[in-house]
Amino acid sequence: MSITIVNPCNERKPIAARAKRLQTLAGKAVVLLDISKPGGNVFLDRLERLLVERYAVAHVARETKPTYTKPAPVQLIEKLRNFDAVIEALAD
Amino acid sequence: MIEAGNKVPQFRLNPIDGESYLLVFLETDCPTCRLSMPYLNRLAKQGAQVVGVSQDSETLTREFARQTSAVFPIEVDSDLRISRAYDPVAVPAFVLVSSDGYVKRAHIGFDKDELNTIASEMGRGTIADAHDGAPPRKPGCSSRHLEPSDTMASAEPLNIYAALGSRASRVEVSEDPYEYCMREFGDPLPVVPPTVDRVERMMGGLDPRQVIGMVPPCYGEATIEKIAANAVMAGCEPGMMEVLLPVVRAACDERLNLHGVQATTHFAAPLIVVNGPIRRKLGFACGQNVFSNVARANSTLGRALQLILRNLGGAEPNGIDMSTLGNPAKFSYCIAENEEQSPWEPLHVELGFGVHQSTVTLFAAEAPHGVSEHRARSAKGVLKAISHAMATVWSYRACMGTEALVVLGLEHARTIHGDGFRKEDVREFLFNKTGIPMRAYDDDGDGTNQTHLYQEIIIDGERCYQKFRSPENISIVVAGGGAGKFSAVIGSWAAGPRGSQRVTYPCPSLL
Repeated sequence: MSITIVNPCNERKPIAARAKRLQTLAGKAVVLLDISKPGGNVFLDRLERLLVERYAVAHVARETKPTYTKPAPVQLIEKLRNFDAVIEALAD
Repeated sequence: MIEAGNKVPQFRLNPIDGESYLLVFLETDCPTCRLSMPYLNRLAKQGAQVVGVSQDSETLTREFARQTSAVFPIEVDSDLRISRAYDPVAVPAFVLVSSDGYVKRAHIGFDKDELNTIASEMGRGTIADAHDGAPPRKPGCSSRHLEPSDTMASAEPLNIYAALGSRASRVEVSEDPYEYCMREFGDPLPVVPPTVDRVERMMGGLDPRQVIGMVPPCYGEATIEKIAANAVMAGCEPGMMEVLLPVVRAACDERLNLHGVQATTHFAAPLIVVNGPIRRKLGFACGQNVFSNVARANSTLGRALQLILRNLGGAEPNGIDMSTLGNPAKFSYCIAENEEQSPWEPLHVELGFGVHQSTVTLFAAEAPHGVSEHRARSAKGVLKAISHAMATVWSYRACMGTEALVVLGLEHARTIHGDGFRKEDVREFLFNKTGIPMRAYDDDGDGTNQTHLYQEIIIDGERCYQKFRSPENISIVVAGGGAGKFSAVIGSWAAGPRGSQRVTYPCPSLL
């Protein structure tokens, strides 16, 4: 015997599909998104060097969220679209 | 727009002749107009003549008046004749008219100072409290008569407060439904299976498709049906929807910033504080064991919110909810204030709601930090003990970034009140006596790199940094049982407009 229950979970479809994953970082433009946590720059400086030296990334740009406590503003997200990859970098 | 000194146009708005009145232009889908309503109700309840002018249809206006519990008349100006005559550029627009029919003041948008000035000019008391959780100012929406006209447009303006979502799908379960629900939807304690019958009873005739909010961080659609299904699972009785719907709306309020609260590595979880007559009606406990497993109402309301945050908000504890250590509050965290035995006005009255109104307050909270003080016999003695606990909120040496909710036990509250302290005196005393000695800052650690932002203060002869930004960062609630000289301090997550702000919503009658 079965019973019928009401689905209590979210059933909205995601509005966008996940971006395709890159096969290689070589020659790509990568943006590092600093979420404004203390120490973020220390981590990102090192990461930026590694991306260029070890993975031959062509161009590394930096963007910063105004605060780590809230989602990024739409304008900032739009800027990120100009790159092949985004690395959102936490810190602490 | 009509200005101070102008004679007002002649319309039959039915104010009592020879008395000044406040005319308020409103739109039913304007969030700022809704924000203004509790303050206007407060003014009207003090006997001031308030007349609303709605720029929408009678149907929408009736619904608006019901949802906002309007206690003053609202004229329907759907043909915008009155609006064109007064010509406000935006709503809400406030026009204070003197007894002889001249405009005394005209103002656009929500502004607490302006509302208090209007109340004062009408000979009434303050209606807008600075620290009630609402912003000091907020712009409104363009007045309907200035919107581009479109001869093809015939539909009613979109009422975002009555947006309709989709019906929930049905799931056929052929295995043990308790095992199934616990595995698929649980927290992970057993839940009551949300059968169609149970969910119907929980909704009590409300529209299942009505959207109450979009729940961060994944913005799932919280329709009344989805909320009811989670309420059933949590074990709520059907009457609980009267409180749960405003709880969900408060949880989705941007000021609470659930997006951050649910994703942070910190301990924060939303604490619900219930105030007003609804406590008795639905059986909320506010005495002994108030934070624990004492009453079905407290436990199930808190749990219903947590299930909603997980099932609709997507805050999976193995995924997007990144809390390092978590918090037992993520099973359920709900208290009610012991208003009957408190020596002071309860939290919601302090925030400007009526004593006969019921409210829910949400606060992004750490677990309660107990304060035992059995030897102090004076208000100052008790409060000093509490201030020592308050100094440790977030991290001992981190100042200015957090808030605290102080839950005073009854014995402490009586001792403090017995020395003549009003609630604001308690807040002021705790603000001025909570600090970290500057000698504690001689090595590196959380909070030591930001001392240039801190305020210096002398506490008992010692130079300290003040813990909180202002007395408004300290909220006070009285709760608990009659025996035991205990209180609790509850720290917040990152506070203020960039973090999470406490929010309070009224519980309107659903029928």
